[in-house]
Amino acid sequence: MSSQPSVDTTALRKLQPRFSGIESGHGACQGCGQALAARLVLEAAGPDVIVANATGCLEIFTTPWPQSAWNVPWIHSLFENVAAVAAGIEVALRAQGRTTRVLAFAGDGGTFDIGFQALSGMLERNHDVLFVCFDNEAYMNTGIQRSGSTPHGAWTNTSPAGRVRQGKRHFKKDLLTIISAHGIPYAATASVAYPSDLRAKVRRALDVSGPSFLLLHSPCPLGWGHDSAQTISVDRLAVETGLFPILEMERGKVVSSMKIRNPRPVREYALPQFRFRHLLMDTPEAREELEHLQALADANIERYDLLSEAPGPRDSGGADTVRRGGSRWG
Amino acid sequence: MRDVLEGSQAIARAVALCRPQVVAAYPITPQTHIVEALARLIADGLLEAELVSVESEFSAASVVLGAASAGSRSYTASASQGILLMSEVLYNISGLRVPVVLTCANRAVSSPVSIWNDHQDSMSVRDSGWIQLYCADNQEAVDTTIQAFRISERTELPVMVCVDGFTLTHTLEPIDLPEAGQVDAFLPPFRFSRSLSSARPLTQGTLVSPEFFTEMRSLQHGAFDLAEQEILAADRDFGALVGRDSGGLLRVEGDREATVGILAMGSVYGTLKDAHRSGLLGRPVRLLCLRAFRPFPSRAIREASEGLSDLIVLDRSLSPGSGGIVAHEIRSALYGSGRAPRIVNFVVGLGGRNVPGEIFQEMLEALEKDPPAFSIFDLDPEKLPLSKDPVLPTS
Amino acid sequence: MGIDKERPASPVRVNAGGFALPGTSKANHTGSWRLERPLYATSPSPCHGACPAHEEIPVYLDHLAMDRPRQAWEALVAANPLPAVTGRVCPHPCETSCHRGSYDRALSIHSAERFLGDLALREGWSYPGLDGEPREEAVAVVGAGPAGLSCAYHLRRAGYRVTLFEALPEAGGTCRIIPDYRLPEEILSREVERILATGIDFRPGQKLGRDISLEELEEGFSAVFLAPGRQKNRSYSVDHALPGDLHHGLDLLREWRNVGSLPRWERAVVVGGGNTAVDLARTLLRTGSREVHVVTDEELPGRPSPTGRGTMPAIAREVAMALEEGVRIHTGRRIGRLILREDRVIAVELLHALKEMEGEAPVHRAFTGTETILETDAVIPAVGQEVDPAGIGRLLRNRPFLSLIPTGQVEGERRIFAGGDASPGGGLVSQAVGSGHHGARRIDAFLRQKELSLESPPSPIPFTSLNLAYFVERPAYEPRELPVAARTGFSEIESTAPADLIRTEADRCFSCGHCLECDNCWTLCPDGAVLRTAGIPGIPVPYVFDYDYCKGCGLCARECPSGHIRMSPEP
Repeated sequence: MSSQPSVDTTALRKLQPRFSGIESGHGACQGCGQALAARLVLEAAGPDVIVANATGCLEIFTTPWPQSAWNVPWIHSLFENVAAVAAGIEVALRAQGRTTRVLAFAGDGGTFDIGFQALSGMLERNHDVLFVCFDNEAYMNTGIQRSGSTPHGAWTNTSPAGRVRQGKRHFKKDLLTIISAHGIPYAATASVAYPSDLRAKVRRALDVSGPSFLLLHSPCPLGWGHDSAQTISVDRLAVETGLFPILEMERGKVVSSMKIRNPRPVREYALPQFRFRHLLMDTPEAREELEHLQALADANIERYDLLSEAPGPRDSGGADTVRRGGSRWG
Repeated sequence: MRDVLEGSQAIARAVALCRPQVVAAYPITPQTHIVEALARLIADGLLEAELVSVESEFSAASVVLGAASAGSRSYTASASQGILLMSEVLYNISGLRVPVVLTCANRAVSSPVSIWNDHQDSMSVRDSGWIQLYCADNQEAVDTTIQAFRISERTELPVMVCVDGFTLTHTLEPIDLPEAGQVDAFLPPFRFSRSLSSARPLTQGTLVSPEFFTEMRSLQHGAFDLAEQEILAADRDFGALVGRDSGGLLRVEGDREATVGILAMGSVYGTLKDAHRSGLLGRPVRLLCLRAFRPFPSRAIREASEGLSDLIVLDRSLSPGSGGIVAHEIRSALYGSGRAPRIVNFVVGLGGRNVPGEIFQEMLEALEKDPPAFSIFDLDPEKLPLSKDPVLPTS
Repeated sequence: MGIDKERPASPVRVNAGGFALPGTSKANHTGSWRLERPLYATSPSPCHGACPAHEEIPVYLDHLAMDRPRQAWEALVAANPLPAVTGRVCPHPCETSCHRGSYDRALSIHSAERFLGDLALREGWSYPGLDGEPREEAVAVVGAGPAGLSCAYHLRRAGYRVTLFEALPEAGGTCRIIPDYRLPEEILSREVERILATGIDFRPGQKLGRDISLEELEEGFSAVFLAPGRQKNRSYSVDHALPGDLHHGLDLLREWRNVGSLPRWERAVVVGGGNTAVDLARTLLRTGSREVHVVTDEELPGRPSPTGRGTMPAIAREVAMALEEGVRIHTGRRIGRLILREDRVIAVELLHALKEMEGEAPVHRAFTGTETILETDAVIPAVGQEVDPAGIGRLLRNRPFLSLIPTGQVEGERRIFAGGDASPGGGLVSQAVGSGHHGARRIDAFLRQKELSLESPPSPIPFTSLNLAYFVERPAYEPRELPVAARTGFSEIESTAPADLIRTEADRCFSCGHCLECDNCWTLCPDGAVLRTAGIPGIPVPYVFDYDYCKGCGLCARECPSGHIRMSPEP
């Protein structure tokens, strides 16, 4: 039934023209945005890294003892301390004169909320660590509970929609502003829908000396309630609605943004996701919340000047353009 | 090199002699002088280490975890609230079997708020899988600290060196600081078998299912047998270099033939020993100084208790609703042995209350008067409310 | 000891710290989670579906875009041996069907085809694929027009000995009479020569029915392919009247080609709506006629008819150019009456007219009361050709075309096959080429006694199967044409594209249903279950799925820009 030639996959894996920091066989859900994002990060970072990972989906689905999907040195301690563990590794490497780069991986829980203190301390002390937050906008590993990163209006098991509530009451914590207030040399957001941009930002962050921060929007088909095949298309909409701006900041100043070529209404983003479906109901409360979400998106667009005047190769329409024969994926 | 040093200064010098590459700490009374002393040594180029002034104790423990995992000898110190705040990390470090040394400047734990000395902090984390060694004086603090690094690195278990806050940390004593050459001969360069390295990538901190968890935990517990041997070996080998011992697992002194014994941990043992030497006790007493609380040296305790009819066990902490913690464990160790002494548990010196030398004679006298199995010996009933009901303010 | 006795003995032993070794997750074959699996499945592109010669257009455009013109040409001539010809004369239905046309602009496929055809002639490339195992059978092909040439070529590729009979002294068929401004004769000759040079035994001047008979062919060859075309002019009269000096359109074009001169008429009326009529009209203007009219009862291509009239079968762009050049086209008209003086036409009477189909037969209606007079010196019918029954009369069975059965034979025959304009569905050079290829495959199946799948091919991939997020609008290539004022002679009107521009144009191809080798699937798989095999010797595909780990999430299929991946239920 298979239309492909019979091949020796083990041998083939050794011939892949990219570094595979995460091996196949991990237990991520089908279509997991975080698994994809983590794979892309390590591709760009290469093998000479040490990864400290906070508790969360990524940690759980990659390390069921005695199996591990990690091909790089990796340590998981607790939920709230990955920035501090990474800081310790970095300090030790510096004392030993080693140039291996240190990456901290955490979900939005381990970054926005419980891990925030350690992150802030690490940034303030100027450790040479790249902190990567895989933002799926809720505590997914524990069963879809709201986090500081959950968007306004989103359903989670601790912010469900019902007769008197329309999902999360509070807003998505503006983490990038908080991070940028630390004045670190490089902070950026990226999306799995734009993998070339994501990888370029990893390389740029590693080029920087001192702390750097990446916020990677990573859809969760299970928690967001969309089809596993829609992970990329949903995230493209997150960018094109303005709800998740793609920015780069240096020392607190926005130096570049991915312009939106064809802005899309928030309704289009809400439609494929169960967590926003209640906003599409025909009730005054739902309509009001949807309008509110639209206003928040519009505010982002205005604040970061996200509309493009003319189409360009790095805007939301051009940044994922394919090139025949590959090698567009820098 | 002999000098009169404040306990904290001496401990800092001991740490520096062990050449840690990473020190991380968050200040908390009464640990502050240790870390400040290390900071000065670094600033003066006398210690080549990175001092990471973290934003909480949780991060202090996490930084040393990361640093040691990455192959650098690492050290931290804390007390009281700080020990509790970092407790999650302490369990984690031990389970991960990462060698780290921590000085606990023993202090009471809130509430009520107290900055003064008792053992509630280190006792609260006795199940975290750390080796816990208690120092009777500042010389022992220096020697035990140095030994701790070797013990930790050989057993791949973290070591907590407990030093009574203020009582030891802030008092001056004549200290014999070892020479650098002696320490270097005793303590080889740091080598961690599972060091994080891209040359040999390993995955650490995995999720372990019920199928294997029991065996993992058992392996950790079993390492404490090795720890007992390493504690003794360290004391012996270091003792050979400097000509003094630090008390091994348990020291037995005083009147070895006496049938009454008093067991104590930490600086109160010094007061007890002084009282014995000054004849304040009024009768022969076997003195037991418990140095290793974890591993709990049951066999040594049974041997040390041979021939005793009564053993007073002193606790500097309290498990509310239960009683004195050391005494419970002593009783467990002696249970079933037909010749076990009567154990009388006295809690003294909570929250930094002074333990005067005279109190031991009172304890010995109390022995004759059918004392309860457990009591807070230095409790002043005059300070307790008159009725059992809570006293509420009027209007 | 409390050990669960039902648990199987575990060979795995714990370690201090509970560390795990790298990459050991591979022991977990997550492919078992799948409910459906992705397949790399080439689907026909709309251009391929529309191309009468069944060219693998996305394949050769890909080669061209990647600066591999030789491979591009070789992929092209695997279907069509006459690309420099068809690149010029085909109405390119591929371009009309091109999905890129629904996005920004359709690809100028004919420009690519023409470029490759011309390049091959310039470079002197020979056809690939002729070094296969020779077969012992010999096949006769009758008619060296594009259908016969194509059939002979494809039979040679399959290893057969081929003898090609042609009534005229030269091969090329009706292509020869296409005017130079559309198809320079030299281009045609060189492509024809190249085909004949593949080892075909060419016998010009041999007319079926006159010089050779069907029976002789059947006796001397294992199979026969008839492509005689439509050599007989359809009869034309206006109310049974004919001008004394009646010339048919096709004959005049042939005369122009062979002799190089035409009768001089100041004014001429050409009757008919096909390419012959239009070509003749434009030729007449170039050779001295002052006024040339075309009369057809159909409508201009691209113009919707209010009264349900049909469309002129001539190629739309040729009609447009004709109008530019000054040909006057009278649509929806018939000639009702010839106005003669002593046997010479001096004018015609035009009427409004309609051509309707009643079943398969056309019915022509003209409406009195709408008469107008048009002065002219000549009325030239170009109203179509019919199959000449000479030599094949019994095969025609009183039908206008040779009727074929699904396995390719002429109905009622076992070893006689047919194609081209003489069989139904012809009319274009590209159709003839496709028909010849089709016939060759059927003959090969017959001779090998091989079952040929007679299933209709799968439908071309719909526009909705593409993922347009991965493309951006790009300017399209516009072929350069001579301005009208310069079209006085017979120089080619359209130019061949420059190499750099045609490469860029080819790169605009969506590769519908084919792999672009864009790396999307390889990049976007969260489970690393796509392995890149491009460039690895021995593996003919650029990617493979590792089904041990593919969880069937469907991301690859959704994000494939060209719809090359299909999700299929897990077997």
